[in-house]
Formats: sequence, structure tokens, C-alpha cells
Amino acid sequence: MTIPKRALVGALVLALCIVVVGLLVATFAAPYHQRLFFTFLINLIAVVGLQVFMGNSDITHFGHVGFMGISAYVVAILATPIAVKRTALAAAPFGLSTVEVSPLLAVAIAVLITLAVAFLVGLMMVRQTGVPAAIATLAFLVVVHVVLVNWVDLTRGPRAFYGIPVKATLGWAVAAAAFAIVLARVFRDSKWGLQLRASSEDLAAASAVGVRVRKLRFAAWMLSAFLMSIAGALFALFVGTIGPKSFYFDLTFLTLAMLILGGMHSVTGSVLGCVIVSVGVEVMRYLESGPNVAGLDLPEAFGLTGFFLGLIIVLSMTFRPSGLTGADEVDDFWHRRRLRRADVEVA
Amino acid sequence: MNYLLQQAINAMSLGGEYALLALGLAIVFSVMGLVNFAHGDLITVGGYAMFLVATWLGLTNPALLLPVGVFSVVLFAMFLERVAFKPVRGAPPTTGMLMAFGVSILIQNLALLFVGTRPKPVPTMDFLMTNIAIGSVLVPVVQILETVVTVVAIMLLVVFLRRTTIGMAMRAAARDVATVRLMGVRADRVVAAAFAISGLLAGLAAIFIMARRGAVDPFMGFTPVLKAFVAAVIGGFGSLPGAVIGGFALGIAEVTLQVMLPEYMAGFRDAFIFTAVGVLLLVRPQGILGQRPDFGEKS
Repeated sequence: MTIPKRALVGALVLALCIVVVGLLVATFAAPYHQRLFFTFLINLIAVVGLQVFMGNSDITHFGHVGFMGISAYVVAILATPIAVKRTALAAAPFGLSTVEVSPLLAVAIAVLITLAVAFLVGLMMVRQTGVPAAIATLAFLVVVHVVLVNWVDLTRGPRAFYGIPVKATLGWAVAAAAFAIVLARVFRDSKWGLQLRASSEDLAAASAVGVRVRKLRFAAWMLSAFLMSIAGALFALFVGTIGPKSFYFDLTFLTLAMLILGGMHSVTGSVLGCVIVSVGVEVMRYLESGPNVAGLDLPEAFGLTGFFLGLIIVLSMTFRPSGLTGADEVDDFWHRRRLRRADVEVA
Repeated sequence: MNYLLQQAINAMSLGGEYALLALGLAIVFSVMGLVNFAHGDLITVGGYAMFLVATWLGLTNPALLLPVGVFSVVLFAMFLERVAFKPVRGAPPTTGMLMAFGVSILIQNLALLFVGTRPKPVPTMDFLMTNIAIGSVLVPVVQILETVVTVVAIMLLVVFLRRTTIGMAMRAAARDVATVRLMGVRADRVVAAAFAISGLLAGLAAIFIMARRGAVDPFMGFTPVLKAFVAAVIGGFGSLPGAVIGGFALGIAEVTLQVMLPEYMAGFRDAFIFTAVGVLLLVRPQGILGQRPDFGEKS
């Protein structure tokens, strides 16, 4: 398999940016900002994971957060100390209240279970196109939520699942985010990614030249679920307390808005969107609480964050449906600049 | 026997509600290829309109309140078409769908910002909540009315689509918009008519949903619209008869499961139904009445 060298360089540059910022945050930032940055990294992995499927296959994916939820709950159930589970999860089936594994092993099992679920759902997904596919992903999200809320013995139902060991470190999160970026970019610019993108533009033409659309769609689906499962596991091990609501519409809206604003056809775009929306949401949260700005007493405005996300999606779709970057990656910008400069010299 | 009859009426009225909503989705989709995620929020808007009229103007007479509910939904649907969906006309389906998704989030959060999280009471229409006896079974009027209204609305819609010029233009537009325009029909009018009808159907559904719930909150539109989407997908997305069949099939399936599932499993109902739909789509990806588009055809 050959990956264009330019794509690799572009991916590594993006990943390096994350690592450098991560180092700066780890050394200089206050604990509160470190937590913000950690949340940003988890969202970043999720958005990049979403991009892998949505950006390459052009099928809208509303269910990605469901994979995060599955993975986070598996980690929670396996890694939480027995002492906590004895009271919180006394009636757990399969004797799970007497099992405790190390966080790392829990993550590995969580990824495997998530992939198994993704496999089953994927069998159905690849046969759908366009709108029914998008609605199927939404139905998947609802199914996951319904099971998390109703399987009380296993998940504590709508109540919070607490006591998960807080073992995730900033270093792990930075490494995972960098890994996600490189993986997504390598897939996008690999032979398979290119074929899948071609099929999303013209199914008939791509099939005619022998692109196996279903297989590639399935591959993108699984890869996306893999990245989502990592994001979910990190989330559980970072926050320590999760609930079914953590993996429902709020997170779906947030990650979709990030991807749409940045540009879903490009990994660079998804990173960019994640940065911009994260900053925007923090500002909105601040305004929502009714602060005192420059002597002006603002009222509490509950719903401002959601309004902001909706506005981002609507404005993007009206003025720039392909997002800020379009289908361009970071190296495409340099490359074009170099070409332009070369043109000037020739002239 | 009585129990069966009771549940059958339950299933028909629930199916009717889903069919009304799914039809509205299918009409808009067939004419302009838009997946209207904001369809459920039309119900919310209708509820708030009734709430505002009732509290500010003191109108609680159902004969006035019901038309207010329905027509505010129709107007709002046409308003949305003008301001939000015109820019994405002719864009790829994904763009339109995400646009509608964004609009839906906007409406919900505007309601949250300006009206608040708490549910607001909508004056219950007492005559809807009375029971009448059929044989030895007591049935709420709302359920009978819902079934009847659904059937009448569907029949009127069929007449409209087959007998009027604009109705025929809408059916033609579902196949080929360009040719319809060449025939001298204005695309704007066809699309506006589609939204008006979808709003009317949603308005009717909103009345019944409000009568049952008695209150309106910002996020109430999501569950009905999700069910309507699933119904439309079961029937074959974009097919009008498919939407009706899918709606009733979903209603019947839900009530059947509700009756059959043991109590501790009742919460899983929707998970079972959606999984079953997934399996159905595995066997028949195009839904019950849908047709697989050939390559090169508009899909």
C-alpha cells in the first residue's frame, strides 16, 4: 500500500501541533484548563472518528456517539473497583460485580466489544444508502440509549455510574489524538480511501471501474467505530462518572457541528472545526450562566450553547456546505502556494 | 375480546398519528428531496401557539383553539421553507438534511431560551378526553377521532394529488422537477404547496398529541419525528402509500409489543422495534414499497 508522502507529512504536522500544544498545556496550564484541554482531545478523537466514516462515504452518521457510550460503559463495568460495585452494582448479571480488571485490559475489552457491535450493525448499514442509512444510524443511537437506560442491573440505568478509576493521563489522550489524526489521514489517502471517496461522488462510475463499495464502506464504518471506542474509553477513565445522557444528543450535536463547520471531507477541517467550536462553546457556557460583562448584568440564558451549535450548522449549510476547508488538507494549501510561486517564477 | 378491541383501537390511533407525520415527511421528500428533521418541531410550534393564544388572549374555546393550532403549524412550515430550505434547494441531500437538523436544534433552543425548560400547559380539550362506549368497551374520543381524521385526511390527499392541477404537478415533480418547470408550472408554488400540506398533516397530529399530553416542552418533537422517520423507512422512503403503511405497521407493532412484553422488559420496547426494523432492512433495503433506484436515476 502506498500513501502519498505529502499526505503523511501533512498528517504528521497536524499530529505534531497537537503534541506541542499538549506539552505546553501540561507544563504551563492550570488544572482547570488542563481539564478543558482533555475534553477537547476526547471530542477531537470523536470528530476525527466521525470524519473517517462520514467524510469518506458521504453518509450522514448520527449514531457515532452510541459507540462511545458502549465502550465507556464496558470500561466502567470492568474497571470499577469491586468495593464500589458491591454497593452500586450489586445485582449485575454474569457475576460482573465480582470482577475487576486493570484499566488497560478493560479498554482492550471495551474496544473489542464495541467493534463486535459495530460489525453487526455494519452488516445492515452497508446495504443502505443516503437517507435511510442516516436514519438507521439515528435509530442505532436511540437503541443504545434505551438499553443503557433500561438495563438497570448492568448500567445503573438513568442514574450516574460512579467510581470508575480516574486513570487517564493527559499524555495518553494526546497520544491517542495524534494517533487518530494519523490513522484517519492515512485511511483517507490510501487506495481504499480514495476509492470510497470516488464512490461517494459517483456510485455508478466507481462501481464500473471495479470499486467494491460495500466492503470499503464497511471498512470505514469499523475504523470509525474503533476511534469512537477509544474516545469513549478515555472519557470514562477521565471523568470517573458517566451516565446515559453523556452519550446522547448533546454530544451528537456538538461533534456534528464541529465536523460540519470544519469540513467533513478533510481531516484538517475536522481538527479546525473542533478547535473553533470548542472555543465558541466555552464562551457560550460562560454567557449562559448570566455573567457580569463590563458592568452589564446579563441574564441567565439557558439554551444559548445549543442555539450556537444549531446556528453553526445552519450558517455552514447556507454559505459553505462543504465547511471551512472544503476537501483540502493542510498540505494542499502549501502545495498550491508552492505551485503559484513556481508559476510566478516561470513567468 | 374487549381487551383485544381496546388494544386494536390503540394501535390504529397510534398508527394514524405516525402515518400523518410520515406522510408529511414523504411529501416534502418526494417533491424536493429534503429530509425534514425539523418536522417534529412543527408539533412543538403548534403546541406553543396554542399555549400563547390560550394564556395571552384567554381563548380556551376549542372551536377557536384547534384551528389556531393547525394553521400556525401550516404557516410556520411555509415560513421555514422560505427562510431556511430555499437556499439548499437543489443541493445534495446531505446538505438539506443537515440544514433541517440545524434548524431543528435552533427551534428547540429558541424555545428553551424564550419560553423555558418547563412544560407549559395547553388547555385540555375536554370533549376529546371523554370516553364513549362501543359495546361494552369504553374508548376515549381522541382515539376514535384520530383514526377517523387520519383516514379522511389521507383520502382527501389522494383526491388532491389526483384531481387538482397543483396536486398533479406535485406528483410529476416527484419524478422530474425540470420537466414540470418546462410545462410552465412554477417550482416555488409546488414546493410551497408540499410544505403547506406537510404542515397541515403535522398540525392535525399536533392537536392529538397535545390532547394526550396536555403540555408542551421544547424537546417533545423529537420522539414523534423519529418514529415517523422509521415508519417512512419501513414503507420505503419517499413513497406516499409506503409512509401510510409504515405508520400503521409501526403503530401496530408498538402496541403489540407493549401488550406482550413482561413488565420488566417494557422499557426496551423501542430497542426491540428498531432492531427489528434493522433486520427488515437487511432483507429488504428499500423498504416495503420502495423501489431500488437504478444507476443513473434520481435517487
